[in-house]
Amino acid sequence: MKITVTVNAADYTRDVEPRLLLIHFLRDDLGLTGSHWGCDTSNCGACVVWLNETPVKSCTVLAVMADGQRVNTVEGLATPARLDPVQEAFAACHGLQCGFCTPGMMMTARWLLDNNPDPTEAEVREAISGQVCRCTGYENIVKSVLWAARRESGGAGAVPGLRPGEGLTGEGLPRA
Amino acid sequence: MAAGGTGQVFPRNIVAAAWGHDHERAGADRVDLNTVTEFAPATEATWRDGDAWLGGGTFLFSQPQPGVTRLLDLAAFDWSPVTEDADGVAIAATCTFAELARWRPSHAAFAPFAALAARCCHALLGSFKVHNVATVGGNLCLSLPAGPVTALASTMDGVVLLRGRGESRGMPAADFVTGDGRNALRPGELLTRLWLPAASLSARTAFRQLSLSPAGRSAVLVAGRRDRFADTVVTVTASTPRPVCLRFPAPPTPAEAVAALDAQRPEYLDDVHGNAAWRAAMTRRLIGEVLAELAS
Repeated sequence: MKITVTVNAADYTRDVEPRLLLIHFLRDDLGLTGSHWGCDTSNCGACVVWLNETPVKSCTVLAVMADGQRVNTVEGLATPARLDPVQEAFAACHGLQCGFCTPGMMMTARWLLDNNPDPTEAEVREAISGQVCRCTGYENIVKSVLWAARRESGGAGAVPGLRPGEGLTGEGLPRA
Repeated sequence: MAAGGTGQVFPRNIVAAAWGHDHERAGADRVDLNTVTEFAPATEATWRDGDAWLGGGTFLFSQPQPGVTRLLDLAAFDWSPVTEDADGVAIAATCTFAELARWRPSHAAFAPFAALAARCCHALLGSFKVHNVATVGGNLCLSLPAGPVTALASTMDGVVLLRGRGESRGMPAADFVTGDGRNALRPGELLTRLWLPAASLSARTAFRQLSLSPAGRSAVLVAGRRDRFADTVVTVTASTPRPVCLRFPAPPTPAEAVAALDAQRPEYLDDVHGNAAWRAAMTRRLIGEVLAELAS
């Protein structure tokens, strides 16, 4: 079937099999490998993308269901000039270790902050439910999202649970 | 929508599907949907063997569906998610959990129902990303004991509208789910919408849900409503394979309600989400809590 999907504001037209999942379309047909294919059962959340500005797990959406729709992936977060604050936050607060869950976490976090610019820790934890991380224990991911919220609101200073100077990757290590 | 749309028992090897498949092979075969060769708008296709109605797809895509060769996309109907008038509320099969949870009635009298609907939506095991896609019709047709739409529809005296080859029929939602993963759908039949009569939508409602983890699958779910004339309905789901509806012409005492429950000789599920004895005990306890809240 011929489909046209707008991914990160660019139109892509491809012939695809009816059974092709959106995650495979993004990764294998478009080469956008930022979204990760994890459990394939909508449990792990590594494949979360936005479909018409709504977060979905792209392993439970067919590519043909996205025909004529808008998709946003992690590749679309940053501009050539700068990282998205969520990406900055994950780097600053060490919100990732192996990085497998990170694209889904970031897309979920971005949507949360767009809709709730000042979330509580509980709200962050609820938002990332359905996103499985086997490395971090979630602590630094939650800190990252809160850090990004503060950055976007123009605030500075401590994130709850993070003492000044603690946990920010690279902080306190001036160049020689 | 449930694969095949029939009263079949669905396989439960979700864990096996999640962790057991061979990624090397899967990479070549595009994983679970390796028998699907066609995708068609449901408005333009006639049902045949090997078809499956496609709503949100959250179940359909989550494990192998070896008998499915064609998906019929219900989005083609472009049904309004929720419509209401003075007679009641109609929820399209394609209405997502997110849409139902966000819905606010135009009729102020339906506010109690909207509140209960939102609570049932949040009782679905799944994050909000799943709620954005999973549908009311799919939850009913999957017919899991813990299906929160089954609890909602049964408590509200809902009627499911079914469309088959050349005929349509309605049946009480409480009778639609006939067992764990079983329902009254005939081959090729499509659940199009859930109808909820106005008389029950303004009733006082109460809701209790219990699971072994904070956001886990419901092990016990008890919902109740008390009408203006004191008619009381208490529905038990999740702990039993199919809904158990208890009806009383006047508010019962907890003992009367439990006696009515026992009279139906419900079978309690016994699985990783809770053993049978615990579920039976908690069902009784939550019935008491629901009745107390309805009386408060």
